[in-house]
Amino acid sequence: MTDNAPLVLIVDDEPDMCWVLKNLLAERGFDFRIAQTGEAALRLVESTKFRIALLDAKLTDMDGLELARRIQSMNPAIHIIMISGYYYRDDVDIQEAVEEGIVSGFIAKPFLHEDVIRMLGAVDSR
Amino acid sequence: MDLTGLEQFGRDDPHRYKEMFGMFLESIPSSVLLINRELRVVFANKNFVTKSRRSHHHVIGQKLEQVLPEAIIEHIDIASRVRQVLETNQPIRGDRMTYRAPGIPIRTYYYSILPFAWRGEVENVVLLMDDVTEQVRLSEEVRRVERHLASVVESARDVVLSTDSDGLILTWNTAAERLTGYYSGEVKGWSFFDRCATEQSEELKKVFMDLKVGDSSQTGEWELFTKDGNRIPISWVFSAMKDERDRPIGVVAVGRDLSEHRKLEMQLLQSQKLAALGVMAGGIAHEIRNPLAVCSSAAQFLKNPNIEPELQEECIDRLLIGIHKASSIIENLLRFARPSSSTEMTPVNLLDVIQDALQLVSNQAKIEKISVSVEFPHQALAVYGNANLLQQVFINLFLNGINSMPEGGRLSISAKKSENGAEVRIEDTGCGISQENLEKIFDPFFTLSRVGKGTGLGLSICYSIVKQHLGNIEVQSMAGKGSVFIVSLPLL
Repeated sequence: MTDNAPLVLIVDDEPDMCWVLKNLLAERGFDFRIAQTGEAALRLVESTKFRIALLDAKLTDMDGLELARRIQSMNPAIHIIMISGYYYRDDVDIQEAVEEGIVSGFIAKPFLHEDVIRMLGAVDSR
Repeated sequence: MDLTGLEQFGRDDPHRYKEMFGMFLESIPSSVLLINRELRVVFANKNFVTKSRRSHHHVIGQKLEQVLPEAIIEHIDIASRVRQVLETNQPIRGDRMTYRAPGIPIRTYYYSILPFAWRGEVENVVLLMDDVTEQVRLSEEVRRVERHLASVVESARDVVLSTDSDGLILTWNTAAERLTGYYSGEVKGWSFFDRCATEQSEELKKVFMDLKVGDSSQTGEWELFTKDGNRIPISWVFSAMKDERDRPIGVVAVGRDLSEHRKLEMQLLQSQKLAALGVMAGGIAHEIRNPLAVCSSAAQFLKNPNIEPELQEECIDRLLIGIHKASSIIENLLRFARPSSSTEMTPVNLLDVIQDALQLVSNQAKIEKISVSVEFPHQALAVYGNANLLQQVFINLFLNGINSMPEGGRLSISAKKSENGAEVRIEDTGCGISQENLEKIFDPFFTLSRVGKGTGLGLSICYSIVKQHLGNIEVQSMAGKGSVFIVSLPLL
């Protein structure tokens, strides 16, 4: 773990998915926080300066895209990556969110760990 | 013949006797000819004279062939018949002849030739002719009407049959022959109940009993056996057949083959099911991709040769659980998507059916930000039904509730035992249904959903499936507040 490693917010309501992302980011030396609901995520964003957020597209209390919008308005410098089994890459909703600059990247479930790490590196260096 | 009265009548005045006897003969509405051994007419009554359009002296004393038309003389050879009676002293009875006097239409007569003996000797014969033209015309008319009625029954595409009051088959039309493969001659005298599905015959016997004691008609669906052992669903109307004193003497059964109708119903059920699957597809995709993602990641962790033993164990566990999860979602999906091959009913636990249905839509609910709560009794709710069809009812009702909450909300499902049997309440906090629409929501093709979200068939199919299970479905709703659908089904 290096000092300039970006702080990552993980938001997913599936404990299994949190387990995956937690182990992956820990293995690659990232610092992270986990939220299982939209509300919990917003509270974390309020108190912590994250560089990157990994968001599930469908949460029990909130839509992922809506959460992305609200996080961005609270922290415009944050890079948001959507991870979803619901959308696909060229989904209109995702395309629009990317064009609007709300979402920096999209990863479809299931994913390769290398792709996630590469995307974390890419958005962080922007 | 008792002639005592006549003797009494003529004793005082023989002349009066003769006159009365003459009047008596004249008044007979038949033609009477007395013919002697020379085949000459000795006497002819007024009826004959009038009918033959001859004067009296053109008849009396004339040879038979001069009195009767040539055609009759030759065609029925009346002369030799008269001779036969004269010789044998035996009457010839009951033959028909047509006779046409000049200038009048053909008449038909029924004639008898009777020996007329005087003191044991046959001197004359009586030719008695009854005009049966009208009767013949009427009986031909009756036969024509009968033929017409028969052809109405025979031409009908519906099964038309009749039985006596005990259900023994009397008639069986062509449509019944075509449908069952049994000829009408074969089934005559068979019991109608034996031709019907065994488990329904008691019910049918009761229907016939009701008709016997005064019901005028009964309707219902009962199956008929064909010669090759198949069962055909038929919609029947049984009517009591009554005699002129209004006493039941049998039953007329008219039945329509429902096979085609049933096939279409099944197709409709199936296509509605596929439409529901379309609505659920997004949720199901999400639901399957989550365990797939976990499995994929676990495998990638395991690729690391320096993996901690603890993580290694966890990875293996999650792989197994994930695969099982994905496969059970697919199995549930397959079971629902498969067309119901039959409408066969078996005892089922309603709670299992609801649980399976819920599993299919739970992710759809999650995607739409809807929380689902379930309240089940501890004991099973056993009903008699078709699990596949009942699952379709609950999936439709759940999706209906989910669709009514585009902004999210709560879907509460509760099941309990009540006086109406098993009662399932599906409550949403959605847009609700206005009073005017409330009465239309079970109508086919009526929809309040957005385009692509509903076909307008879901609730009408729920209604028909629940009715088929002898249950009831009702709805209470307040626009803007939400709706409650209550399904009640008879408990086993």
